[in-house]
Amino acid sequence: MPKNPCNVNVRAGRLISLRGVTLVYPNGTRALDGIDLEIAKGSFVFLVGHSGTGKSSLLRLLYREQVPTRGEVTVDATRVDRLRRSRVPHLRRNVGVVFQDFKLLSDKTVWENVAFALQVTGARTKDVMRQVPRVLDLVGLAHKARMFPSELSGGEQQRTAIARALVNNPKILLCDEPTGNLDPSNTNEIMDLLHRINLKGTTVLIATHNALVVDRMRRRVIRLEDGKIVADEERGYYLQRSEGLAGFATSETSAL
Amino acid sequence: MDWGRVRFFFGEVWRNFTRNLLMQLTAIGTVAVMVLLLGTFLFTRDAVGKIGDDVLKRIEISVFLSDRATSADALALAARLRRDKRVEGVVYVPRAEGLRQMRERLRGQIDTSLLTTNPLPDALRVRVTSPDRVREVAAAISKLPDVAHVEYAQDAVQKLLRLSGVLGRVGLGIVVLLIFTAAIIISNTIRLTVFARRREIAIMQLVGASGTYIRLPFICEGLLDGVLGAALALVLLEVGRLQLLPKLFVALPFLPLHAVSVNQGPLALELLAVGAAIGIAASWLSVGRYLRT
Repeated sequence: MPKNPCNVNVRAGRLISLRGVTLVYPNGTRALDGIDLEIAKGSFVFLVGHSGTGKSSLLRLLYREQVPTRGEVTVDATRVDRLRRSRVPHLRRNVGVVFQDFKLLSDKTVWENVAFALQVTGARTKDVMRQVPRVLDLVGLAHKARMFPSELSGGEQQRTAIARALVNNPKILLCDEPTGNLDPSNTNEIMDLLHRINLKGTTVLIATHNALVVDRMRRRVIRLEDGKIVADEERGYYLQRSEGLAGFATSETSAL
Repeated sequence: MDWGRVRFFFGEVWRNFTRNLLMQLTAIGTVAVMVLLLGTFLFTRDAVGKIGDDVLKRIEISVFLSDRATSADALALAARLRRDKRVEGVVYVPRAEGLRQMRERLRGQIDTSLLTTNPLPDALRVRVTSPDRVREVAAAISKLPDVAHVEYAQDAVQKLLRLSGVLGRVGLGIVVLLIFTAAIIISNTIRLTVFARRREIAIMQLVGASGTYIRLPFICEGLLDGVLGAALALVLLEVGRLQLLPKLFVALPFLPLHAVSVNQGPLALELLAVGAAIGIAASWLSVGRYLRT
């Protein structure tokens, strides 16, 4: 046993690791069932599967919105499943999260929404003044800094949310259906942005069921079904190649 | 000092506070009523205590000597009593003087000219150093030689003590009840703000704000409710003191109200502290319940 249960030695380059993770909700639903998973630093990973297969649950384990019923969750050498409540804020500053519904504050401008993430963690004004323009520039919203979310397109709102998730310089960016509310052109815009963010060294993990996005990017694809990992491919497709068109047809019909 | 940080924080507090102004006013009003009654109660209790002390201080023990005692005996007894540490002063009232004083007191009520002989014995009037010693000293004196009878305003003392006791208990009960009411109303007000801000709170938790940081603006809001309510009550109390007390002097001349000079500085601070404490406690509870999910 390591002296400090929250810090375990991990092989260099491994940022996220799940071992034998099972998550059962109080109502008895088995959201995740014996997940083993490792994600390297700097990688770009898709998490795919039908709704209700545990994609969001898995992401929630990583920023400690949820604690596994069994198993070990390690993020950046920290045992998240054993993390004390008082240490959770520290973890969250290292993990940016983006959602389908953006979760922006409607009474705050783009600038204020992004700055908020720094201000509430007690950042110095000097840092706020430096970091906010940096991320707004990165997401291409510097010219709309004074607008309110209601004055922005869906894509711009999601870019604001991404800027907020990045302003603390997290090592990991978790995206839960980031393009779920966006039209195809906004979707491409957001995926390009996430790609650029990944190139700067941030590990990006995206839960999605948008096949076009996954197939266009050709990155690592982890497929979940009924809380289990059923496929894990480098340079994968939304559907496994072995499934082919027949698999596509059945999955489409079963979805209907 | 990072003024940007300070401004952001108090901006958030002010935003919270003004979001539901009507509710804040209700909370402030409740605290004000509570503190007003608490203040009145404390003031009255102090005043009654002071009046009581004053009355008790003026309580004398009347020592009536036996008929056989001569004036020399009376003077000897007076000298002996003066040596007692519990005794503040002794006045010798010869029987002739006693009669004169009685005539004075009863003039116009009873025709004292009908008295052909002096029925009074020689007497001593004894004042003691502290009111609670009256009973003890009186008992001791009654055992001395040449003493026929000892009298003091026993009933008056006991009634006064009982009255202030009852007043204290009833008042305290009401105050406790009011403190609860105020706490519940503040707590509800804060809970409304917490509810109105649940999106902000969720985002704060998401981006890694500490629990203390999330709590602090709400605690400040409760503190503001408590302190503003208490301050309002203090203003009302001061107005009342300046407007009502002089009228009371006139209306109740028999009460030694001149003795009432309650020390207002510490009392005001106490009341402000009570308001602040209620505000903080109430908001702490309601935010705690929400964040502990």
